[in-house]
Amino acid sequence: MEKHRIKEILNKTVNEYFESQDFNEKANEDTVLFGKESVLDSMGLVNVIIDIESRFLDEDYEISLTSEKAMSRRNSPFRTISTLADFIGEQVTENEEIDE
Amino acid sequence: MNKKVMVITGTRKGIGRYLSEYYLGKNFIVIGCSRSESDLKHEKYEHFCLDVADEKAVNKMISAISKKYGKIDYLINNAGIASMNHSLLTPLSVVEKVFKTNVFGTFVFCREAGKIMAKNKFGRIINFATIATPLKMEGESVYAASKSAIESITKILAKEFSTYNITVNAIGPTPIYTDLIKNVPKEKMDSLLNMQTINRYGEFDDISNVIDFFISDKSNFITGQVIFLGGVSY
Repeated sequence: MEKHRIKEILNKTVNEYFESQDFNEKANEDTVLFGKESVLDSMGLVNVIIDIESRFLDEDYEISLTSEKAMSRRNSPFRTISTLADFIGEQVTENEEIDE
Repeated sequence: MNKKVMVITGTRKGIGRYLSEYYLGKNFIVIGCSRSESDLKHEKYEHFCLDVADEKAVNKMISAISKKYGKIDYLINNAGIASMNHSLLTPLSVVEKVFKTNVFGTFVFCREAGKIMAKNKFGRIINFATIATPLKMEGESVYAASKSAIESITKILAKEFSTYNITVNAIGPTPIYTDLIKNVPKEKMDSLLNMQTINRYGEFDDISNVIDFFISDKSNFITGQVIFLGGVSY
């Protein structure tokens, strides 16, 4: 799966969450998802993560965002949509290699 | 989909097998799992061979269910192993094995099924505790401790999941004649039964009765509870 497609899915999922919460925000690759500058609270992040995993499953990609690496605060892949896209990209590539 | 989808772990034999047949009888779709194949054949039963502590395998199973049915209404975390031995004679490998199946397995199923339930804003999770924990039974330190962890998981997940309309409860059965206790000496079992308020072995339908209560549509205000059979309490 191409990186731009991953970002597209992330933007769409996060935007849908923003809309559901009446947030006046538009997601882009620099949107902060985690940390002080994030518009999401901790439960918001949990909900977005659940939605993202499910959205990739719909596309036949099993990804898991539950990992020690993901949960560590320093350089968390959840920091922005762009860093999350990189993190998901690694998993997608691993899965594609296994399938081959 | 109108049909109820129930996931039960540890369905090859014992309580899990009974519950599978019981809920298939209620026209539920039942998806079970165990480390080896099941001989349960039913058009609405599907079996996965996996170790409940194998995170990746559990993720795959839940993903497959999600793709096929779009929901999980009920999760029964029945899979468990027992260890009855004096602590001074218990190797660490046994402690690890018991905790892996009982605690890690329960947790990972709660987490993965919880995600699907959260998306659908409905779910009922039933975990398995044991009367060995409140009775503080000698020889069961490891088993009782693992089930004690399950009680904590149950009570805290009840809070974390309440926002998604998911209830999380546990049942604490008394001994029932299953493989889990077949090797325990009779004197030991008799003394255990005498510690209960009602001194008899449990029956399978004592368990399904409590699960029926937990999964009832009317039980949406019941969460974070552990119901012990036989009148046992802390």
